[in-house]
Amino acid sequence: MNEVSTPHANGTAPAKAYHRRAAAPSVDVFENADELLIIADVPGVPNDGIDLQVQDGTLTLTARRLDLNESPALVREYDETDFVATFRIPAGIDTTAIAAETKNGTLLVRLPKAAAAKARKIVVK
Amino acid sequence: MLTGWKDFDDTLRTLDRLQRRFDVVFDPLERLAPAARVVRRARAAWPATNVFETKESFVVRADVPGLADRDVSVSVEEDALIIRGERKLPVPDGYRVHLRERAPVAFTRKLPLPARVDADAVSASLKDGVLTITLPKAREALPRQIAVKVG
Repeated sequence: MNEVSTPHANGTAPAKAYHRRAAAPSVDVFENADELLIIADVPGVPNDGIDLQVQDGTLTLTARRLDLNESPALVREYDETDFVATFRIPAGIDTTAIAAETKNGTLLVRLPKAAAAKARKIVVK
Repeated sequence: MLTGWKDFDDTLRTLDRLQRRFDVVFDPLERLAPAARVVRRARAAWPATNVFETKESFVVRADVPGLADRDVSVSVEEDALIIRGERKLPVPDGYRVHLRERAPVAFTRKLPLPARVDADAVSASLKDGVLTITLPKAREALPRQIAVKVG
């Protein structure tokens, strides 16, 4: 598990320290002729808790749980944490067309292949 | 030569990969039937469950990402809460697999209840892949205020 912290802008000690624990989500990665499909388990994270950033060929996922329950538990088998993951985007992906949706605590990210990168059949004349 | 954290990470990753190779060689289950390993891993208690207590009820919460209402059933038997279900997660049609970390799992979890609950009033809800079950305590299990009389 990592600590995700927001560095304070001016470098002074923040009045209210903010940091939350995060873990890497379980992830499936699939591919077909048209796209890469990433599915990540992000239980407890609603639509607006998801932050996806594409920069320098990297896709960064930050998923914030909004259902943290810090009260003492009779039984605690897991800790509720945020989820953080980064993916290197391979060549041939149309990064402007990346789309994502959430469903039942999972996140689906579709990375469509750029037209030039799709397999083409060459017609022999 | 190690020149930074990146190299350090790469080294760890290589070690991890090596470890997995060894696991395959020395784990007879894996060698005989790779699929058996998945099943075995899935047998670890899933879903992980947290239990909270309030004055009037117990609240059980479990992370079940990918499950819809129809995939899970909740019942109360005697002094235990039973959660059953299945997370199928088939590979989407026509797709190739690059990475598979999300394990399909069929599960039954039986959680002993620390006090009597009102079985008729148990409620369960599923939101964003989190199952929340509220079990109101039975009358006899509720805290009671005992009036102290002046003799």
